[in-house]
Amino acid sequence: MDDLTREFLLESQEGLDRMERCLTDLEARPGDMNLLADIFRSVHTIKGTTGFLGFSRLEALSHAGENLLGLLRDGKLAANPDIISGLLALMDMLRGILRNIETIAGEGESQQEDAAMIARLEALQRGEATAAAVTEPALAAAVVAAQPAAPAKKRRAPSKRPPSRRPPSRQAAGHPQSPQGAPPPEQPGAAGPPGVIGAASPGREPESEERSAPAVAAAASIPARPASEAPPQAEAAATSASGTADSTLRVDVELLNRMMNLVGELVLTRNQILQTTSADPNFALLGRRLDMVTADLRESVMKARMQPVSHVFSRFPRLVRDLSLALDKRVRLEMEGQETELDKSLLEAIRDPLTHSVRNAIDHGIEAPEARIAQGKPAEGLVRLRAYHEGSHVIVEVHDDGAGMSIERIRQKAVERQLVTPQRAEQMNEREILQLIFLPGFSTAEAITSVSGRGVGMDVVRTNVEKIGGKVDVDSRSGRGTVLRLRIPLTLAIIPALIVRSRGQNFAVPQASLTELVHLSAGETDSRIEWLENAALYRLRGRLLPLVFLDRLLQQPGRERAAACDIAILNADGRRFGLVVDGLADPEEIVVKPLAAVLREIGFYAGATILGNGEMALILNPGAIAQNANVSLSSESEVDAGDERRADQQDYLLVETGSRRAALPLQTVVRIERIPRSRIEHAGALPVLRFEGELLPLDDTALSLVDLAGDPEAQTTVVVCRDGQRHVGMTVSQVLDVAGGRQLEEAGTGAVAEGLTLLEERVTSIVRLAAIPAIESVPAQSAEAFPLPAEATP
Amino acid sequence: MSEVSAAATQEVCSVKVGDTLYGIPIAHVLEILGKPATQPVPLAPYFVGGLVHYRGEVLTAVSLRRLLGMEPAKTPEDVLVFENSDGLFGLFVDSVGEVLHVAPADHEPNPATLEARRQALFDGAWKLRDRLLVSLDPERLDPVRLAAAFPA
Repeated sequence: MDDLTREFLLESQEGLDRMERCLTDLEARPGDMNLLADIFRSVHTIKGTTGFLGFSRLEALSHAGENLLGLLRDGKLAANPDIISGLLALMDMLRGILRNIETIAGEGESQQEDAAMIARLEALQRGEATAAAVTEPALAAAVVAAQPAAPAKKRRAPSKRPPSRRPPSRQAAGHPQSPQGAPPPEQPGAAGPPGVIGAASPGREPESEERSAPAVAAAASIPARPASEAPPQAEAAATSASGTADSTLRVDVELLNRMMNLVGELVLTRNQILQTTSADPNFALLGRRLDMVTADLRESVMKARMQPVSHVFSRFPRLVRDLSLALDKRVRLEMEGQETELDKSLLEAIRDPLTHSVRNAIDHGIEAPEARIAQGKPAEGLVRLRAYHEGSHVIVEVHDDGAGMSIERIRQKAVERQLVTPQRAEQMNEREILQLIFLPGFSTAEAITSVSGRGVGMDVVRTNVEKIGGKVDVDSRSGRGTVLRLRIPLTLAIIPALIVRSRGQNFAVPQASLTELVHLSAGETDSRIEWLENAALYRLRGRLLPLVFLDRLLQQPGRERAAACDIAILNADGRRFGLVVDGLADPEEIVVKPLAAVLREIGFYAGATILGNGEMALILNPGAIAQNANVSLSSESEVDAGDERRADQQDYLLVETGSRRAALPLQTVVRIERIPRSRIEHAGALPVLRFEGELLPLDDTALSLVDLAGDPEAQTTVVVCRDGQRHVGMTVSQVLDVAGGRQLEEAGTGAVAEGLTLLEERVTSIVRLAAIPAIESVPAQSAEAFPLPAEATP
Repeated sequence: MSEVSAAATQEVCSVKVGDTLYGIPIAHVLEILGKPATQPVPLAPYFVGGLVHYRGEVLTAVSLRRLLGMEPAKTPEDVLVFENSDGLFGLFVDSVGEVLHVAPADHEPNPATLEARRQALFDGAWKLRDRLLVSLDPERLDPVRLAAAFPA
């Protein structure tokens, strides 16, 4: 394939993508001239180039489409579902031909199909051009009544238009921009019959409104849109899509991958350099500079690979439209957070799971309009796609306000399909039952439709999402709807991990699944690890946690268990277990290197990495280990307990600062780091810490009081917390425990005591993270310290 | 060997495993790593010698000793780097020797008496003046192929 053709393919595909977005938008805002102009441009460009390259099929088809679009753009026709269906079908056909050109280097033959499509488009031109002349109220009614899925229909109403305003003949329409065309579309008179514009989304708006205010709609022309439709970002997206071409550059993904690899290498080299100690003070300085530049570079390259989720979302308006027509349901799609960015490869990876989830939501979730009305819901169902950041993850939610899932029915199906035993099913709580839908072979669809219900469903969604290190979670209320939550890591290539050692070998455990660490000293191992037959258990805060010995799992040869060991408590998709290892090394940001196919098959490894010290480490896959060891969702009771507790209890990180005890809400804790005290710097009076390339305001009060004149090389513990949008740090002398704290109420009034909680039978003050001032707001000479909330005297 | 005219000869990289001398066409050898650090992979197929760090990538390296059912090497081994469908892979050998020139005329197929496993791995031998040089075809040492040919 020559460069010109390749360029053409890329451009055309982009054009068609844009066109698809615009077409579905057009259905919501039929009068939007910008949209029409945009669509027209896309088709016109394709037509122009194909003629030049000699693709005759493409040319003939896009020509026919252009004629129809010309009429729409000039206001001689108003878009209606038929026209949009026709244009979408045309688009699919163009796509098919482009694919042919790409794969078999030719357009392929399909005379009949082409002719049928061209005829369909011409019929749409004729039919609607004459229909447009019908008196308005009658027309509005006619369009509302029209079956949206019906093929092109022709109306016999005589044309009242002067000849010059008739649809141009095929030859003449080849130049739709010719001056003899209609007056500019902005003129109210040319904005087409307003009744048609309003009524083109049948049933979405009360009919009476359309009829009573045609003049208003005409005058408002472009800005007028149906009130409930067209969220502002859709419009913004449409504008930005057509306006960014000048400042962007098309870059081969291969090149970006290569750059990412090189940056990964640089990160490794940097890690090695930073671990090399040198007497030369300059070296340390240079090392730190290298550190910062590398971090920046890494971020930039990662950014270059980021794409907004709108790339994936953009296909859904079409999907929702087609599906709801096919299933005779009425569905409105809302999309939020389309600008949220995700690594390109991850975006590709969630495309299918997300499509599947949206299909499910419409097929299984949203009820038929009658059923909805009977339940007192609006006839039109709502599917909402939402993307947002949460820490180092992006959450993509698929929410529907449909029937929800019946816990009983899932329980029943799961037993029927022998996915769980009846006894087990009886013991399971709602959350566990819901998780059953992710098991292979589970499907509750009564009938297999063309859309879904073949039993390969949610398990594929989960597998695909887990493959990229993500998680899926479902929440459903019977009669109220379902929320499916995909939790996707921001990037694949570099992940924070804890390096553990087993039989002298390094292994990396992804931080994402690590919840806590327990160290057992030589004397404790025998007494603290308990055995139930051959199952090892550990009592974690009074609850039994299954243990997996890494060396036994991997059949590593060597001596019997070392006297002292560490337990890494992992949570892999709701399966909690303790991984027993010989020892812990440092946490490190590791670059994930893929493993050869023969090693991937082992299953326990998610990849390999090269550590800062130059050694290699295999990256463990906690999910696979949990599965292999038969750690089930159910056998771990702590998960349930956590859920039950959540109502009036919250988990806290109990820390000691100086001589006081304080509590940090556990969900705000991002990391716990050991750093030399010398790394704490000051911006004005505010202690700050450079952390992962960012500046972290620090609450250092407690410690600076204790060891003001301390040794600068002494290590200190910093708890990094999330406070709203920002991260803040707090130095502590010791992390004591994680515990659930109960709310306290004031005697007499019953008011909840804020800032206090009952932790391990002691009243403990909760650290107010908001009290740590923001960096930019620090007055240069503020001498006042930031007092830690004093521990309440019981 | 040297008297054979250059046009008709082939350059092979000679490697030693145990007492046997093997030859691999030099055109296939991407690089030779001298005694690199290696990382064993627990539960890996028996023929995998371990992982080797090569230019930012982590290579899976096949151990010729393990393939041939020999004792593990007592000293660090050299690694040859090859290309396959899956990317790159390595081959552990005791040591890498000099490059030899061999003539196609001196090549003979595997003898029928050779043990089956070696039949599958070896690609005949060249008759050197004083000894045999066993021909190895990297394609047959590809871990993807090995996994299919010798399931554990």
